[in-house]
Amino acid sequence: MSGTTQSPGERLKWADVWVLYQRELRCALRERAIVINSILIPVLLYPFLLWATLTGITYVTGQSEGFVCRVAVPRWPEGHPKLRLKLEHDSRFTIVELADLAAVTNQLRAGTLDGILEFNPATGAAAALPGNFVARITSDGLRERSSEALERLRDMVDQYRQEFVRREGRRRGISAAEWQVFTLQRENTATQKEMGAFILGLVAPVIFVVMVAMGCFYPAVDCTAGERERGTWETLMSSGPSRLSVVAAKYLYVTSVGGLAGMLNLVTIALTMKPVFGPLLARTGKTLETGIPLAALPVALVAAVLLAGFIGAGMMLFAVFARTFKEGQAMITPFYMVTLVPVMFLQVPGLTLTHGLALIPIVNVTLMVREALSGTYHWPQMGVAVLASLAFMVVVIRMATGLLAVEDLIAGSHNGSLLNYFRGKFQRQPSPKSQP
Amino acid sequence: MIPPIRVQQLSKTFQDEGRGEVHAVRDVSFECAAGEIFGLLGANGAGKTTTLRILSTILKPTSGSASVMGHDVQAAPGEVRCRLGFSSATTALYPRLTARETIDFFARINGFPADKVKARVEHLIERFGIGDYANARVEKLSQGMKQKVALARTVAHDPPVLIFDEPTVGLDVLNAVEMQKVIAEFRAEGKAIIFSTHIMSEAEKLCDRIAIMHGGRIHACDTLAGLRAATGEHYLENIFIKSVTAASTPQ
Ligand SMILES: Nc1ncnc2c1ncn2[C@@H]1O[C@H](COP(=O)(O)OP(=O)(O)OP(=O)(O)O)[C@@H](O)[C@H]1O
Ligand SMILES: [Mg+2]
Repeated sequence: MSGTTQSPGERLKWADVWVLYQRELRCALRERAIVINSILIPVLLYPFLLWATLTGITYVTGQSEGFVCRVAVPRWPEGHPKLRLKLEHDSRFTIVELADLAAVTNQLRAGTLDGILEFNPATGAAAALPGNFVARITSDGLRERSSEALERLRDMVDQYRQEFVRREGRRRGISAAEWQVFTLQRENTATQKEMGAFILGLVAPVIFVVMVAMGCFYPAVDCTAGERERGTWETLMSSGPSRLSVVAAKYLYVTSVGGLAGMLNLVTIALTMKPVFGPLLARTGKTLETGIPLAALPVALVAAVLLAGFIGAGMMLFAVFARTFKEGQAMITPFYMVTLVPVMFLQVPGLTLTHGLALIPIVNVTLMVREALSGTYHWPQMGVAVLASLAFMVVVIRMATGLLAVEDLIAGSHNGSLLNYFRGKFQRQPSPKSQP
Repeated sequence: MIPPIRVQQLSKTFQDEGRGEVHAVRDVSFECAAGEIFGLLGANGAGKTTTLRILSTILKPTSGSASVMGHDVQAAPGEVRCRLGFSSATTALYPRLTARETIDFFARINGFPADKVKARVEHLIERFGIGDYANARVEKLSQGMKQKVALARTVAHDPPVLIFDEPTVGLDVLNAVEMQKVIAEFRAEGKAIIFSTHIMSEAEKLCDRIAIMHGGRIHACDTLAGLRAATGEHYLENIFIKSVTAASTPQ
């Protein structure tokens, strides 16, 4: 690297790191923006976000469960008055009187009708049974309400069919058991259990990553670009500690604030899950079946630190090129967005922490948290994830130290971003390389 | 004996995107002894700050060498930094620290013996009359108070070498005079001091030797009496103009 001031005297000194770290932290705790973003928001905003999500979900599902399906029946089948009665008395349906099939189809498309139930005479061998029919249900699969109508109509007709078969069988002296070779009993229990799993498996990890990233954001800008803007950068750079010590202290600072945000966030989930969301779910007739396993907390806390270590490192690398706080924010924001991309992977159903995934930053740690929350522990893969994260952190500290040794960055004459920096470096003839 | 500050054939060339190569410092050599104030006198862009930044290891020389208390700025930058106090318009204080915390912090990171830091901090607070606002945050202090805290932090670790880059810029007359007084006291304590300025009267009053710097070069370097004798001018202003124009005419 050109222009480095690395030398044998530039070693890491933990005593210096400690003094520098204390200074960073002390100033941070006196900075309102940092306290709000790194401590208050993860604690207070978190339950609110979850509550909002949940309320949204229960509202939407409640809507599709509570509404009445508007159904058109162009022609009733001969000899089945009971079917008609059954449909008419079912409060989940209203029957729309429309004779013209074309008009009915148009209404279905327009969304003013949810389903069409047609009865046609049976054909072929099936026609031998008097009164037999073929029921045909038309729905618009793109609309939630119409899909719901399809389900309900199908259930209803199926139920009627079974009653009919039993009745006919009795009349002909055949027991129902002989008729019914196969029966299918369906019950939808997914909504109950999955509500808890959904919160823990998807919403919680996403918010967790967002909180850690937010926790890292301000400290990362503050201790690099912010320091330059305040004019303390040169004071620090002309003071005793080696560049490596300075970077290590700053990195420790960013990671611990980000990690703290993550931990507070997790502890808040653990504490608020039952008291806040239990009643909310109970009102909708659902129960929160998955509680937070307390055993998961240590794993999750380690994950918080690792995640902060990765995100903080990335943010510092970008912010170190900025001259002002504003510039720093602008440079970090794209990275901030990128950190949220791996979280989208979590939407893939059945994703588990494999050795391969354990090597991918953010994904590994987030999966670790998710599995721990659901009580699963893949210890070897978790080990890999931890090692991969630590290795990454070492690399980043080295890189950041190298960058800080570039005098352009210290003197602040550098104009622009990471990209500009490397462009300038490669276009120009690089000065002779000094020791690594 | 190597003098506390020694600069030999120092050059610094910047690669500036707009201007191309900028020769900020060219072949500059000087020394500064203990108990001496060495003045760097030059107009804007003369290369004073660049020279002093190299001395404080913020920049690396393109060629030549510089040492502080016998430690080379490139070979042992950490050693150099612990032995000097660097103060300039661009070395601000941490606004969220109190005055006391500031002095304590800089004493510690510059390697002042940990067990003596407390006593040192109290000594400096008393010496600079900071006591009344020692526990107030720096951001809340007036310019004059900040200046005192900045002085205290510069000497927090009791360094043998002090570098002041235009320290009186932006200060009112009273504060500027106070600053000069304190720097003279440091000299009396035996510190080797480099003092850069573009204000003639300041250099005249304070400096034991003056280097006239222009366009990255030192054109003349002597005591005020020596400069007067060499140029036949009495006022430093005229000496400065004469030295600078004399050097640039032949080119
Ligand atoms: N980082 C840099 N990149 C490019 N050019 C620079 C850089 N730093 C300084 N220069 C240029 O080097 C020259 C010397 O600047 P320097 O700051 O050392 O002068 P100075 O004597 O301190 O002036 P002033 O009285 O304005 O502080 C100037 O032309 C300046 O523009
Ligand atoms: Mg200057």
